Amino acid sequence: MMDTDTLIRSLSEDVKPVPSHAIGRRITAGLVMGGIVTVVLIGWWLGFRPDFDAAMRGYSFWMKWIYTGMLATGAVVATTQLARPEPVRLRWLWVLAVPVVLLAIIGAIEMMRVPPGDWMAMWLGQSWKQCPWIVLRLSIPIFIGLLWSYRRLAPTRLRLAGAVAGLAAGAIAATLYCLHCPEASAIFVLTWYTLGIALAAAFGALIGPRLLRW
Amino acid sequence: MRASEDQLRQWMIGGQRGDAANHRALLAALVPLLQAFYRRRMRDAAEDVEDLVQETLIAVHTRRATYDPDRPFGVWLFAIARYKMIDHFRRRRLTCQIEDVEHILIAEGFEESSLARIDVDRLLDTLPAKQAGAIRDTRLDGLSITEAASNSGIGESDVKVSIHRGLKALAARVTSKG
Repeated sequence: MMDTDTLIRSLSEDVKPVPSHAIGRRITAGLVMGGIVTVVLIGWWLGFRPDFDAAMRGYSFWMKWIYTGMLATGAVVATTQLARPEPVRLRWLWVLAVPVVLLAIIGAIEMMRVPPGDWMAMWLGQSWKQCPWIVLRLSIPIFIGLLWSYRRLAPTRLRLAGAVAGLAAGAIAATLYCLHCPEASAIFVLTWYTLGIALAAAFGALIGPRLLRW
Repeated sequence: MRASEDQLRQWMIGGQRGDAANHRALLAALVPLLQAFYRRRMRDAAEDVEDLVQETLIAVHTRRATYDPDRPFGVWLFAIARYKMIDHFRRRRLTCQIEDVEHILIAEGFEESSLARIDVDRLLDTLPAKQAGAIRDTRLDGLSITEAASNSGIGESDVKVSIHRGLKALAARVTSKG
């Protein structure tokens, strides 16, 4: 074992200044790198939706983006808080239920406007079988990006940190998946997008303790 | 003599700015603190204490970006130290005996409650004596309003008003520090 004085001397040889907002920068860098890989994957594997310009002007595109964007924002904030070692209060996380409830209300309104015979088609869309799995797979590069971010940070609640990192990765992957996915109904998004995002969070909680150890 | 929380914080901030001398002074000052921390909790594994101290020093060095200069340094440091200890137990797959777990838990609780107690005392000292006394009697020592009133020789409504005003002043102070 190295002598403690020698250790201190060698650690003090290399004292780089810490940039301001170091945690935010590190997490942003991980998210951006992962996000770029995910966008490239979507372009190669799934293709962007050809009617993107028109879709941008429609309400369902924005409904999806605002929903997944709100989930992503909350999860990224929690990921940033858990990057510090001190105990944190995460009771505010219940606000993540707000976008879910809002989307459920929109879904109910949409359902009232169509005959009940169409509800099944509305709910399952064209892609309900693939959608959650695609979201889960697209979240992996972003999750890896966040693991990289955490390598220099100090999470102490590893399972929770893994879960919120997975949630962030899933929600951002779902946001980017909108570049491809033409599904437009609120109950579709509420069920299958949310399922994919939840799978990503569960996956993060499962492997977080092993991969985030330091 | 041990360095004060404020001194440690100053060195830490210096180290974050890239000042090697400050960083070195900090790490050196942490050694006795961490030794005491781990010794008290790991009586049965004294040979691991030095390992843990070194690991914690390395973590303080490599993860110093996660310290927020606006927050207390000790909380940050001991959160890392505690994490390292739990990780150490997990890695060694140490099946500690029930009594040992109890020791750890008691020591943890003791440290936290004494830290909290110090904070509360410091806050209460900023209040007028009557308000501080009323809060101490009823909220910390568990007396009823009637007992607190006879204790300090004032009326019950006076106790209630004192508690109310005192807590309001404390809340204002805590949130403004926030």
